[in-house]
Amino acid sequence: MMEELAKVPWAVIAPLIIVQIILMIVALIDLRKIHATNGPKILWVFIIIFANLLGSIAYFIVGRKQS
Amino acid sequence: MRGFNVLLQKEFREAWRSWKFLWIPLVFALLGMSDPLTNYYMMDILNAVGNVPEGFEMLMPELMPLDLIQASIGQFQTIGLLVMMASFVGAISKERANGMATLLYARPISFAAYFLSKFVVMSTICFVSILAGFAASVYYTSILYGTLDIGALLVSFSTYYIWLLFVIAVTLMMSASFKTVIATTCAFTVIFVGQIIDMIIGIFWTISPWKLASYGIAKFRGTIEMSDYWWSLVITLALTIICIGIGIVMMKRNASMIKI
Repeated sequence: MMEELAKVPWAVIAPLIIVQIILMIVALIDLRKIHATNGPKILWVFIIIFANLLGSIAYFIVGRKQS
Repeated sequence: MRGFNVLLQKEFREAWRSWKFLWIPLVFALLGMSDPLTNYYMMDILNAVGNVPEGFEMLMPELMPLDLIQASIGQFQTIGLLVMMASFVGAISKERANGMATLLYARPISFAAYFLSKFVVMSTICFVSILAGFAASVYYTSILYGTLDIGALLVSFSTYYIWLLFVIAVTLMMSASFKTVIATTCAFTVIFVGQIIDMIIGIFWTISPWKLASYGIAKFRGTIEMSDYWWSLVITLALTIICIGIGIVMMKRNASMIKI
């Protein structure tokens, strides 16, 4: 198991994972704070968590209702 | 320029609270990562999903580090610009529509200061974004392909930034002139249709703002004339300033479009 983990090229993958996690957390925090979204809130929670990268980006572009 | 500092603070705070300073740079970083990665692992990707027949052989092009930076700039040109313009195009027209402008326009602010404060904040966001995008692209390129010349990077970075300033100026001008929907259409038309036209019949001229994005790298390869590069740069800057001027005038004229 550990050898398998060591074989993964972390220098290549780590930044991608970090960016992905930051985007997801920020989107979720914002979703928690915001008053209303375009479409039901629970839907956006699922989109952000499961459609990983594109989900959070889509939330920031079309999900936030600015008022 | 009354109240420029106050308005600047307001805009910064608004951009910060809507997380624009965080997510747009992250999107650009992702775009910057994607090209070096997919090119490097192209063979593996094809083997995994491509249904490659037995004994199939393909000659991959030998990519230089500079090619990958150019590919990343190509990514910024399509998806990056789309994201950036979509999030900025409502800056003025949406404020008019939802009544926030009523609170501001009733005060003795100068329209020039208001417009410029928006422009400054947006160009700051753009700067951070392409910094993140270039950093990600350079990181992967140097890991997977080899080191880059720092001079070429600086030149292509600053050239691309000037092109982005032009894009922001056009977007804001449209936002000041029309309602959000029309502004979106017009801004996208100017930027993207301009690019397409430049791609199709662009060989007949060598000086245009739409060519600037690819000139940063081309200048370093020596495939273009220096005078073309400088003239494109000067014309782009001039157009940016003209767009800002028109935007301020239109903002003043459309102040009556406010909904209360």
